[in-house]
Amino acid sequence: MRGLALWLRWSWRDLRARWLQVAAIALIIAIGSGTYSGLTSVSAWRQASYDASYDALDMYDLRVALTTGSFADADRLLAAAAAIPHAADIAAAEPRLEVPIQVDASTADELVLVPGRLVGVDVRDGGPHVSGIATVEGRGLRPDDAAGDTVVVDEHLVQRHDLAPTGTLRLSGGRELRYVGTGLSPENFFPVDDRGSVFADFAVVYAPLSTVQRVGGHPGQANRLVLRVRPGADRDAVEREIEDALAAELGDVGLTVTRQEDDQVLRLLYDDIEGDQRFYDIFAVLILAGATFAAFNLTVRIVEAQRREIGIGMALGVPPRTIAVRPMLVGAQVALLGVAFGVGVGLLIDELMADLLSGFFPLPVWEFAFRPGIFLRGAALGLALPLAATAVPVRRAVRVTPVEAVSTTHRTASGGLAPLLSRLPLPGSSVTQMPFRNVLREPRRTLLTALGIAAAITTLIGVIGMVDSFVATIAAGDDEIVGDTPDRLTVDLDGFALVDAPEVTAITDDPMLRAAETGLTLGGTLEPGDDGIDVALYTVDLQSDLWVPTAVEGDLDHDGPGLVLSEKAAADLGVGVGDDVTLRHPRREGVGYRWVESELAVLALHPNPYRFIVYLDDEWASLFDLEGVVNTVRVAPADGVTVPDVQRDLFGQEGVASVVPVTDLARSVRDQIDEVFGIFRVIEGAVLLMALLIAFNATSINLDERARENATLFAFGLPVSRVVLVAVTESLVIGVLGTVTGVIAGRLLLAWLMAAIVPGTLPDIGVVTYLSASTVATALVLGVLAVTIAPLLTVRRLRRMDIPSTLRVVE
Amino acid sequence: MGSVPVIELEAVGRHYEVGDSRVTALHDVDLSVEPGEFLVVLGPSGCGKTTLLNLIGALDTPSEGSVRVAGHALEGAGRKDLFRFRRETVSFVFQSFNLFPALTARENVQFAVDVARRGRPGPDASEVLERVGLATRMDHFSHQLSGGEQQRVAIARALATGNPVLLADEPTGELDFRTGVAILELLHEQAHAGVTVMIVTHNREISRVADRVVELSSGTVVGDGPPPGGTADIASLHW
Ligand SMILES: Nc1ncnc2c1ncn2[C@@H]1O[C@H](COP(=O)(O)OP(=O)(O)OP(=O)(O)O)[C@@H](O)[C@H]1O
Ligand SMILES: [Mg+2]
Repeated sequence: MRGLALWLRWSWRDLRARWLQVAAIALIIAIGSGTYSGLTSVSAWRQASYDASYDALDMYDLRVALTTGSFADADRLLAAAAAIPHAADIAAAEPRLEVPIQVDASTADELVLVPGRLVGVDVRDGGPHVSGIATVEGRGLRPDDAAGDTVVVDEHLVQRHDLAPTGTLRLSGGRELRYVGTGLSPENFFPVDDRGSVFADFAVVYAPLSTVQRVGGHPGQANRLVLRVRPGADRDAVEREIEDALAAELGDVGLTVTRQEDDQVLRLLYDDIEGDQRFYDIFAVLILAGATFAAFNLTVRIVEAQRREIGIGMALGVPPRTIAVRPMLVGAQVALLGVAFGVGVGLLIDELMADLLSGFFPLPVWEFAFRPGIFLRGAALGLALPLAATAVPVRRAVRVTPVEAVSTTHRTASGGLAPLLSRLPLPGSSVTQMPFRNVLREPRRTLLTALGIAAAITTLIGVIGMVDSFVATIAAGDDEIVGDTPDRLTVDLDGFALVDAPEVTAITDDPMLRAAETGLTLGGTLEPGDDGIDVALYTVDLQSDLWVPTAVEGDLDHDGPGLVLSEKAAADLGVGVGDDVTLRHPRREGVGYRWVESELAVLALHPNPYRFIVYLDDEWASLFDLEGVVNTVRVAPADGVTVPDVQRDLFGQEGVASVVPVTDLARSVRDQIDEVFGIFRVIEGAVLLMALLIAFNATSINLDERARENATLFAFGLPVSRVVLVAVTESLVIGVLGTVTGVIAGRLLLAWLMAAIVPGTLPDIGVVTYLSASTVATALVLGVLAVTIAPLLTVRRLRRMDIPSTLRVVE
Repeated sequence: MGSVPVIELEAVGRHYEVGDSRVTALHDVDLSVEPGEFLVVLGPSGCGKTTLLNLIGALDTPSEGSVRVAGHALEGAGRKDLFRFRRETVSFVFQSFNLFPALTARENVQFAVDVARRGRPGPDASEVLERVGLATRMDHFSHQLSGGEQQRVAIARALATGNPVLLADEPTGELDFRTGVAILELLHEQAHAGVTVMIVTHNREISRVADRVVELSSGTVVGDGPPPGGTADIASLHW
């Protein structure tokens, strides 16, 4: 057993001599596997937290909604529900009254005039008991609040506009509501406006049922019924019976019944987890790949440094298997440390993510439990990667013939570039030439160092380039929507109206406006797509001076009806300007609509990246049989009138649902994206740190390999500064080489991600590939500057170098 | 004579192709060495001495001809057999020492014992180091030892294996006269004990103590026989 003790002692000394490099590689692996664990945890948490939050607030099982504008007596709704054959299966049923409102929550700093929804809930006995309201700040609703105008504001609004946790809201019409706290409720875990837009600034306000009945002018009435069904009961039967009972009760008032799992917001939230996870996976794979490549690169170097010792072992007849033990131990050390660090990094990233998530995404219950399963998977990766990364070079090293292995000097690959390069005439004295000769003399070593740096830069460019591309895509959308009239506002009406109706002419004739153009916004589907592409159809005066879409291809001038599609939609449909597409769209028929198909030519393509945006000249409203009918007005303030003036002026006008400056719309999209990107910034930080470590490590190993040569230089009387200068120059050359390679490879990687991965993940957005100057600058600073100055960190080591000792060891 | 030779080279050649040119390190070498012989290979720098040792030690393979050592035909032997051969049949003293820098003198020697003996009891590393005069330096690392001391550790390492063929590349190159003589005596003792000792040197003086001197020049054997004037006593050397 003396043999084993010797091996252990030997590898302990190896470890001590190289602990910095081993630790750095382990940390690189740890960042890779930790980021993977951290990112995967995020999805697990969201899933668990949504489940728990919906559960905690007793999300409805069934929700009955009367057609917009219809109301029914609240007690009659309850009575009808109580009379169904399966009434015993209903655990709870509560009426609700939801009415649209216009909220003025302006603060000293900000004009906050937003559309919203006033939700009247049953507050008896500590209710609501179905789809409850969790109090975030202040207090919740109490039965005695029913008498006054006391409400609770949804937390999202408060967070978005930084409002005080209690205060006063003014509704259009002048009524004031006192809010005593902020809350969250399942149906509004993510605020979606009445048109289904997730980007809208939308205020949800909760109040006792009787308050809303009073404010809305619907005494005793309701327009929703929410129910919870007993566990194990036949929900389908309850659903059918409720639907039948209410249909009979309400006569020709239309109603829809929604099951919990079909809830719009719930679907959105859960689908979002999947979508985000796909991106996390891409990032995790990129980072892991970068870490693996770097670890591989670095272990190759460490094994190569042992090459001669491996040769002596072979000359002594040590079997390859045994020879492999020592270098493999390096891999094992990296693996063990990698797992330990990996858990640390994973926990740290978890912590950051948890902070971020709970910060930007209010939920009543967050479950940030530690996920051992995920961490085990990450640990397994952290264990397997370095072992694999060591096994390959070790295997190669023990296959070299012993003479090659014991030869005194590094024998570079004969032929190739080496002799050619060495013959390059270089200016300057031999010392000035030294760094360049070093770089050229051993192309393999230079290449390995440069590739290590390149791996870091490639990952960096790949990850941050994706973030850049998303930001650029959003900016492109903003620019297109804002156009040349950043003072424009979009006025959405609360329904369809005749163009000469008083509520419309009140806007179009408003003296505060220099322009007001009416239009229609409708849903539709473009075919033939894979399943058809859902689109939002906007009618626009294509000859307007106020705003028209940019035609990147084709021409807005036309004789017949035609569509302006996004480039992305055209590409997905495989059509170009002049081709025909099929548009499925609603057509008025009596009081209702029928879906019909029209063949329309593609007039032009617009650069907005959102695939669903389609424009049609307003003279073709006849397609929908909606001539003279409008639901939106694009306006611009007259000279001397400001955008807030217009907002205040139109706020609360009859028939107006919302007044949104186009710049706000852009900001709103960006705010949402910024929140999502908070997570990307964490990833960015991890990648940056990893890149830095890789760069430093590659340089440090390179310097180690030069130790004997440096000692020789000292022996010839060169001062430390001169030797450092040689090292710095050599690093600079390698850094430039690695960085340029990395930037090019990263750009290719980015192009591939954008072409092959992103379209499947974000089908609705034509993401442009874009690499910002600051990202390239970061890469350059990191790759060139950090690598170049790395040798300065070794000055101390050089100063203290025991020159004779270093010279004495033949390696 | 009459016993089976322990080392047998037949028409051995070794060339290196460097670009378009061809370097012939050894050409048509025939050599046969008896067990227990104390043999010196003599020749100027670059004549192919190290190459010859490498071929006998199975570190290298000949471009042509055959090499047999202790009954093993080296050409065509499998990797595994070659490793076993190096472990159990030959031991090397390298021209450039090749000590493991992370091991102490004692550990370097012990390592060789462990490898060659594979668990069977072998000589004590400290004892062998004492024999080369390094009793006080056993726990020092190679960067703490002089060139000559490192060389003695390398020799101790080779002796400690107890293998039947000992190949030494300039074993006294770094040594002063007295230590050199002591080392030569040690090696000589090994030959008396039955170990075949093959020493490579360009120092004609050392060849005087050999049983037999093989002279190499430009890769070919130009002389083979007892040293002129017969084997001298080690005590009579001076350099
Ligand atoms: N890998 C190689 N490629 C090309 N030539 C080589 C190679 N190895 C050895 N040589 C050449 O073969 C010849 C013999 O080399 P060898 O090392 O055997 O010489 P040597 O007699 O041991 O010299 P010295 O006494 O200087 O150690 C030399 O001319 C050497 O340059
Ligand atoms: Mg030699």
